[in-house]
Amino acid sequence: MSDLQYPLSSGSFFFSRRKRIRIRCKERRPAVPLFMCAVAVLTLLSFWYLDIDWIRLLSRTPDIGLIFWKLGHLSTNELSIVLASLLQTIAIAVLALLYSMLLGICFGMLAARNVLRLPVLSVLTQAFFSFLRAVPTPVWVLLMLVCFGMGPEAGVAGLCVHTTAFFTKAFAQSFESIPEETLEALEAAGASRVSVFFNAVLPASFSQLVAWCGMRLEVNFSECAILGMVGAGGVGYVIATSMQGYAYGTAGVAILLVFLTAYACERLFVMIKRLFRA
Amino acid sequence: MSRKIPLLSPDLRRLYALFLGAVLLLFVIATALTGFTPALFFGQSGEIWKFLSEDFLPPRLPESGRIQVIAEAFLTTLAMAMASTTAAALLAFVMALFGSERISPYPKAARFVRGFATFLRNIPTLVWAFILFSSLGIGTGVGFTALLITSFAFMTRAFIETMEDVSSDCVESLLAAGASFPERVVHAVLPAGLSGFISWYLYCIEVNIRASTIVGMVGGGGIGLVLFSYIKTFHYGIACSIILMVAAMVIIVDQISGRIRKEILK
Repeated sequence: MSDLQYPLSSGSFFFSRRKRIRIRCKERRPAVPLFMCAVAVLTLLSFWYLDIDWIRLLSRTPDIGLIFWKLGHLSTNELSIVLASLLQTIAIAVLALLYSMLLGICFGMLAARNVLRLPVLSVLTQAFFSFLRAVPTPVWVLLMLVCFGMGPEAGVAGLCVHTTAFFTKAFAQSFESIPEETLEALEAAGASRVSVFFNAVLPASFSQLVAWCGMRLEVNFSECAILGMVGAGGVGYVIATSMQGYAYGTAGVAILLVFLTAYACERLFVMIKRLFRA
Repeated sequence: MSRKIPLLSPDLRRLYALFLGAVLLLFVIATALTGFTPALFFGQSGEIWKFLSEDFLPPRLPESGRIQVIAEAFLTTLAMAMASTTAAALLAFVMALFGSERISPYPKAARFVRGFATFLRNIPTLVWAFILFSSLGIGTGVGFTALLITSFAFMTRAFIETMEDVSSDCVESLLAAGASFPERVVHAVLPAGLSGFISWYLYCIEVNIRASTIVGMVGGGGIGLVLFSYIKTFHYGIACSIILMVAAMVIIVDQISGRIRKEILK
């Protein structure tokens, strides 16, 4: 068996020797091997361009274990500060989610093609929000810090920018998936565009909106833990300052709590999803 | 219009009321904890407007000597995302083979593999970056490692799910015919799940382009670092033009990957 060769060609696998059954994929996709080659070339180019000092990196790798060892010496001296900051982080995530939900419904209404039926407006809204979505959240938070000063307010405002942009696209998609017949029936009965939205579009897409919110809460929490590191309060700030001040025990407790909260969130949503599927 | 026909059944209405009440309660608690109200925007609207119209908004070009530095930083960010995603995808594929109970030669160990991936995944990228910076020093190599770890963990989970969804029939029939573990992987798992793997890979590229900008901000190098230093030194006009370029980069990458996805998953 050891002299068998399985040459890989055009995304399908076949035996080249005699007495073997030819297995060939009926639908060949020439794009796949092309894509693979392109990825390989680009990756090699990237590694060459980055020019990483592998020896130094590998020689220091054991230090990661050392850091984890230090982080593992949990110190509960500042537990109350850590807990308060974790609570603040959760509050930032929830508040940003709630504000963005309201804004997202408003802008989603503008961006969806079947609600107001103003194509120019929906294209403009979509373009503007895809710009907002393309810029990473910490950049927005940094700019909000300039406006509001250090603190959780800047975190909420910065997180809102990105979350609203995300919701606008997601909600517009949900609104557009409503069957046209529902809207026409109400329009034929003489309902205005706004009342069609509130009486048909919003209730029909409600469950989808809730699903989007659940998914986004998870993302918001982990982003929020990050935001503190650029100065927006919350648990990220505690992690960053205690790491920089070599207070690894406190940082360890904070990281552990972040991990546990994120994990609990994930399990909760898996459970809810299973409940709804069943 | 004296009486309306109730459209909702009473118990559904009660459920909605309960839901709304819970949301309102959360809202009040969260507002109390953070002290954020929309009134802040109106209270400081003068300052915000001044910042936007005078410092931030006409995007300014940096002095000509710095343009090359910025272009190199963009290339570094792209290269960091590309290299880390591909390396992570290869590692994650191997890991996922052992994490899936149906495919792994050691089904008992699958639980531990998944637990390990969950542990890595639930620590945010930037926390990883901080842990790595304090042990390995700063630089693109460390930014690369931080991205590698999180996208590795994410793709391990995604690949396991793809494998479980796709290939149970093929794997079982090959197993019944007496195929060994590498044969099962090459002839069943890989061809059946390929389009799923590629789709997740493209998604991860999109995520990592953003993440490598962020990791750059705390010391991973690349455009994030350049942007951060311009904001720190109050060059908001130049920062604005870099933000526009970052947005353009992300949108272009998204468009390309969307095109590829359409082409491959036809």
